[in-house]
Amino acid sequence: MALIKDQQLSLDHAVTPELRFADWLSDGLNNADAVLANGDDDLPSLLSHANKLSMIALEFDTFADGRSFSMARMLRRAGYEGEIRAVGDVAMDRIDFMQRVGFNAFELRDDQDVSEVLSKFGEVTVHFQPSADGKGPAYMA
Amino acid sequence: MYAYNQYDQTLVDQRVDQYRDQTRRYLAGEIPEDEFRILRLMNGLYIQRLAPMLRVAIPYGLMKSDQLRAMAEISRVYDKGYGHFTTRQNMQFNWPTLESVPDILADLAKVQMHAIQTSGACIRNTTTDPFAGVSADEIEDTRPWCELIRQWSSLHPEFAYLPRKFKIAVSGSASDRAASQVHDVGLHLYRNEAGEMGFEVLVGGGLGRTPVIGKTVKKFLEPQELLSYLEAVLRVYNLNGRRDNKYKARIKILVNALGVDTFGEMVEAEWEHLKGGDLRLPWSEIDRVKGFFTGPDYLTADHAINDLEDAFAQHPQFATWYRQNTRDHKQSGYRIVVVALKNQLQPPGDVTHQQMDGMAALADEFSFGELRSTHDQNLVLADVAQRDLLALWLKLQEIDLARANVGTLTDMINCPGLDFCSLANAETLVLSRQINETFDDMDYQYDIGDIQLKISGCINACGHHHVGHIGVLGVEKGGKQVYQFTLGGSASDDASLGKTLGRSIEQDQVVVVIGQILDVYVEQRETDETFLQLVRRVGFAPFKERVYGTHKRSAA
Repeated sequence: MALIKDQQLSLDHAVTPELRFADWLSDGLNNADAVLANGDDDLPSLLSHANKLSMIALEFDTFADGRSFSMARMLRRAGYEGEIRAVGDVAMDRIDFMQRVGFNAFELRDDQDVSEVLSKFGEVTVHFQPSADGKGPAYMA
Repeated sequence: MYAYNQYDQTLVDQRVDQYRDQTRRYLAGEIPEDEFRILRLMNGLYIQRLAPMLRVAIPYGLMKSDQLRAMAEISRVYDKGYGHFTTRQNMQFNWPTLESVPDILADLAKVQMHAIQTSGACIRNTTTDPFAGVSADEIEDTRPWCELIRQWSSLHPEFAYLPRKFKIAVSGSASDRAASQVHDVGLHLYRNEAGEMGFEVLVGGGLGRTPVIGKTVKKFLEPQELLSYLEAVLRVYNLNGRRDNKYKARIKILVNALGVDTFGEMVEAEWEHLKGGDLRLPWSEIDRVKGFFTGPDYLTADHAINDLEDAFAQHPQFATWYRQNTRDHKQSGYRIVVVALKNQLQPPGDVTHQQMDGMAALADEFSFGELRSTHDQNLVLADVAQRDLLALWLKLQEIDLARANVGTLTDMINCPGLDFCSLANAETLVLSRQINETFDDMDYQYDIGDIQLKISGCINACGHHHVGHIGVLGVEKGGKQVYQFTLGGSASDDASLGKTLGRSIEQDQVVVVIGQILDVYVEQRETDETFLQLVRRVGFAPFKERVYGTHKRSAA
């Protein structure tokens, strides 16, 4: 599975974390580097323990489930600086939005062409709202 | 009205390229069907019973004449020469091919138009009072605020995959002409006791399977924090709205489940992070946008006014039209003209390409080149000098748009129904035809007076039947199309949901039942009592007795 990190094809083989956030939480936050979370997890807990982790993978269970967009946005707002990786139904048509809300790594769905995906960053260059990318709305430019 | 700058134009142009590439990849088999469905819906493209349907955004219902001309041209080149105005002030084309949509979008972009977020589980076109900026009863012009919401919501990266669609309406007058109480968020611009302008925020209104009147979640919102507060509402909804059942996914279900107080507390907690931040609108930006909505170059009253008494005497029908289809303007010497898209022969809200071109020309000649579309599927020429009214009326006759029926029984709201829509259970256009044939006596309609008839072809309620004074809902029972009646609804400032009258009615009896309901009104009304007032006063008993006491052919 191809992994894009910081807008480049990563040479690392993508390994999705097996440890689910809920299990990590109930097992007493044992030393772990990375967890897998999704919209069903308790977001306040995730926000308060995020700084113990170097990577948080947020799952897109289905194409229509947009909760992870808000979760990534709130993790960045809380000051989390580690990797936020999109896993699951990750395809080129949403990758720009994902990056804008704070994702910096993407485990691509198997049918995705890497070079085509890379061309989709910045497909729309004008933004009318601030987001986790640090850019203000166009009118503030 | 607002004119695009380089940012707006770049965004729309890039979005056209993006959608063109998505269409190409879909046709090449590179995007799965389910995924493309979501992508095309976010760009207003439905696949209907007979053909795709493209919904074009008309932000808060405001158009330049050139934009309407461009839509007329699109209807000729890509469609069958007509279009349809919706209850959310947008335009629908019923017959484009899927392959041609990128070209249509490119044509629209040339006149500063698009189809972004006209469908899908995202923030839809913001709607408002079609008389914004001109009505005599206005507290504050809503259009600059609608434009600010348009910009903030356009391609918002976080809120493109919400649990369900999200609709915002803004009202700035004592009379609510935007149906703001039946929207996911309704915003009321007003001045508080200290004289400060701000928003009352309603949340969780809506129609569909579970009709609900919106509830106040914030009594007074400082205008500079409009976007930060909306962002907080959307974030709470995006994270907490139900996703297991699309019929339970609208924000109204979340608000009802939590209670509006708890929901409001969650929004406030999130808003704490946002207010005063990047989303706080500087007055410089508010003023810049307001600068697009200063009034046109009006004539002074003595130049604009022309005594109409002679014209009224010479053309009694003109006098009727003046009374029925024009409204008070805040500018002395001017009238607001409502052009009813409700003639006898066309489905409500439909316009031919000739009518679009004709209206564009009339807007140029008589109303500073601008038009508005309305919640009840009509058009408005907002700034017509009194001296031009007769000439305008004569020219409207040439394009069959001079019918003096605004606010009457035949000025009905009607979804396209089973003739076009893949969701519909029953036909609706046949009903509007029958109603026009049966109630063709305009004097009868004037005597009945202010009445709102709203017809939906299925429970999704695009025809807003719940808030019609008389609502008609098409359902399918045992392979037959039958119709349920509701009475007593309203979408205005006295918003209420209609209640079901009784068992369903067969299609050929619908006009009979409407006649019976109106007979009860005529017999029992007191002086100056409207239909809605009578229903609220006397209740359902006399109507039930009239309709079901004598009605022999009703369906089960």
